[in-house]
Amino acid sequence: MSDATPMPASAWRRRFLTPIARQRTAMVGLAILAVYVVGALLAPWIASHDPTAQDLMAALQGPSAQHWLGTDSFGQDLYSRLLYGARLALVIGFASVALGLVVGVAIGLAAGLIGGRTEWLLMRITDGLLAFPELILAMAFMAVLGLGTENLVYALALSFVGPFARMTRSDVLQVKSQPYIEAARLMGVPTAAVIWRHVLPNVVSPILVQGGMRVSIAILLESGLSFLGIGVVPPTPDWGLMIAEGRAFITMAPWISGVPGLALAILLVALNLVGDGLRDAFDPSTQRE
Amino acid sequence: MERQTVFTLLDVERTYELGKAGWFGKSRGRLKALDGVRLELRRGDSLALVGESGSGKSTLVRIMLGLEPASDGRVLYGQHDLGQLDPAARKRFAREVAFIYQNARGSMNPRLRIADILAEPIRLHRLRPEAEMTGRVAELLARVGLPAEMAERFPNELSGGQIRRVAIARALAAEPQVIMADESVAGLDVSVQAQVLNLLRDLCREGGITLVFITHDLGVASYLCERIAVLYLGRIVEQGPTGAILGNPRHPYTRGLMQAFPKFGAPLTAPLKGEIPSPVNLPQGCRFAGRCPEARDACRETDPVLAEQAGRQVACHFPLEVAQ
Amino acid sequence: MQTATIQTAAPLLEVSDFSLHRGAAAVLDRVGLTLRPGETLGLIGESGAGKSTLAMAVIGLLREPEVGLSGSLRFHGEELTGLAEARYRKLRGNRIGLIFQDATAALNPCYTVGAQIAEPLRRHLGLSKWDARERAVELMTSVGIPEPRLRLNAYPHELSGGMQQRVMIAIALACNPELLLADEPTSALDVTIQAQIMELILERVRALNSSAIFVLHDLALGAQVCDRIAVMYAGQIVEEGPSAEVLARPLHPYTRGLKSCVVELGSEDLQPIPGQVPPLNAMPEGCRFAPRCPKAQDVCRRERPAPETRDGRQVACWFID
Repeated sequence: MSDATPMPASAWRRRFLTPIARQRTAMVGLAILAVYVVGALLAPWIASHDPTAQDLMAALQGPSAQHWLGTDSFGQDLYSRLLYGARLALVIGFASVALGLVVGVAIGLAAGLIGGRTEWLLMRITDGLLAFPELILAMAFMAVLGLGTENLVYALALSFVGPFARMTRSDVLQVKSQPYIEAARLMGVPTAAVIWRHVLPNVVSPILVQGGMRVSIAILLESGLSFLGIGVVPPTPDWGLMIAEGRAFITMAPWISGVPGLALAILLVALNLVGDGLRDAFDPSTQRE
Repeated sequence: MERQTVFTLLDVERTYELGKAGWFGKSRGRLKALDGVRLELRRGDSLALVGESGSGKSTLVRIMLGLEPASDGRVLYGQHDLGQLDPAARKRFAREVAFIYQNARGSMNPRLRIADILAEPIRLHRLRPEAEMTGRVAELLARVGLPAEMAERFPNELSGGQIRRVAIARALAAEPQVIMADESVAGLDVSVQAQVLNLLRDLCREGGITLVFITHDLGVASYLCERIAVLYLGRIVEQGPTGAILGNPRHPYTRGLMQAFPKFGAPLTAPLKGEIPSPVNLPQGCRFAGRCPEARDACRETDPVLAEQAGRQVACHFPLEVAQ
Repeated sequence: MQTATIQTAAPLLEVSDFSLHRGAAAVLDRVGLTLRPGETLGLIGESGAGKSTLAMAVIGLLREPEVGLSGSLRFHGEELTGLAEARYRKLRGNRIGLIFQDATAALNPCYTVGAQIAEPLRRHLGLSKWDARERAVELMTSVGIPEPRLRLNAYPHELSGGMQQRVMIAIALACNPELLLADEPTSALDVTIQAQIMELILERVRALNSSAIFVLHDLALGAQVCDRIAVMYAGQIVEEGPSAEVLARPLHPYTRGLKSCVVELGSEDLQPIPGQVPPLNAMPEGCRFAPRCPKAQDVCRRERPAPETRDGRQVACWFID
């Protein structure tokens, strides 16, 4: 089986870079996202305090030179917690989507390509997963698995398996019926090469676009679960936990909830802008050509 | 000095069971897309399959390509039954018989560059070493009258005429012996159509390629092919040398098609009334009797067989007189 | 006889110096046409020639500010460019009937055929529900749909392509329009059905004494169905005149080239026109056909030829022999 020849730089640029760069709002989203990523990466160096160091003497302070964004009821530095929180949010968001995507796409590919009883069985399992709203499903699994960052990733990933599987299968079925698949078979291309060269490249971009859009959902769900107390364990610096903690002091120290809340909102908006941009750039139905 | 036989079709039939009404219901009938088709194709032949949509011409080609099994009868490629080729012979068949889709754009993977599309059959059948690939692709593009820069483009960046040429180039890439083409010039502008037709004609004349060309356009058929088979409702009603058939059609359906074909300096006529009937539950007798201006009682009772007469085969009880 | 009366009658549709711009590109460039009552005119050319665009502009489906218009379009002496949409709606489907290429797409799949034929009757002629239904049956009979009363309640997908096109014709002719616009009415159909449909359209148009404009790509078909034809190339009319004469003895090199590309029964050699239609944003300065023309001289590349009257037709070429 011969590998596809690597695309020359110009073709790559024409098909991937230019369409994305043309999406103005997506570039804004990407810039904001970049700030978050840099902040998360550099957290150990740019944080002013240990994110879990408590200082009850300095509790509930407003923004100051000492604590740039103020402190919470345990006297933990909000700025430092925010940076480490970004780290957690991004890691959980991307990891859970990646895991859900890999499993879901595998199920979808198997169902779409094999067909018959296998497809029936896999799709009934998927239907079972899809029957529950994402948050409920993740909550149920957290209850079974127990609290913790790793378990949270698994629970969220599981809630994404259904949508990815269903989408991949329908794309595979659609691509499978295209004349170019039949044409390849007719030319004598072996089945494995048909899948690798002709089916996969044509289903991959909507899946990645969908993956990009789901990262923001994952982060929102993660914060939501932590907020409800069934996510990560305190005192882990997590935005959902921070918002939950600040709830009691919302009138006297609004920054405790406000800072992580605002950070979360901006990140979600940025991710959605990027997701929309990706969709507009790669979804054939919105492509203008 | 008989030329080698490439395809032999012996009484090929293709029926589709229609879906059942409800879970336990009876089948709603059978659709006979092809019925008793006999055809022989020799090396270097060019055969046009002509007929209205629903006449079974595409089904016939799909069966010859092995994309669909024949419900009855046999399809021989060379001396071997098409359905029972061993893997090696199957692979050889895939190289020797190329198909050009009606939907040329749809038959190409939109994510591959033209260069990769053209190289695929070459790599697959190891026809050229990798080092010569770029040169070979350029050569193929030049053969169909496209500049070498096209190799870097993607299918959706090409115009309708260009994409048909690429489809022809891909068919040539496998260095085939037989090319089958489904309406490869339909929907093209006349000036582009003329270019593509000339290209196909040159290929057949120079390359000694055997051509099977599906078309609804008698002009195209007469321009490209030396033989014509006219199909009606899954059956060949007249077949033979193009000149003889178009000069003196003996089947009323062939004549009807010719008269309906737009011509300069002749008034518009609609010689055939009605439409091609559904191939489900066909009537007894000649299938064309319902629309035939010459139909008599005998036509509605017995089905005519394809018989040799006046240098061609005709399936009609009362063939038209040969004009003097 | 008949032609004499046609020549003297006041024009039904008059297109003069009409241009249509999309952005900076001139999709139609100073087009001039006259259609008299009872005449059938064919707009012939390849894709991108602007023939459908001209038809769309006439019926007001391409209007400012979406596109830039200049020159004039007169229907019965009434200026159509800049006409209010409400007024246009009274023309379309009433005094101007429309037939599209793809009947399957043009018919609404959610309504029965009967309801769709009755709609213009009720809207434009104000017929009652019952009267409109009876008239729909008459119309369906007149366009050769068998068992019209039964088909009245059929949905479009239950009919064949040919029957759907017949329904379209019935709708287009429902209000006895003075002008029928048919955009490639048969290019999706088999030749045998094409002949039937074309015969039907001509028969109905003559019976109603209407005029018709056919947008066609098939030259031979144009010769068969149209009194006059206008050959278009890259947004310009290059030759216009009585169809029999234009196609028997084409004067413009493009018409000649086009004719030598047409496959007829027993064609021996086709001579394709070299090259391609230039893109709209890169149209040549002078004659738009010059880059592909075998007779092109310097003047052709420099200056656009004005239409010249020759033997009762208009030809836009510097070197008419």
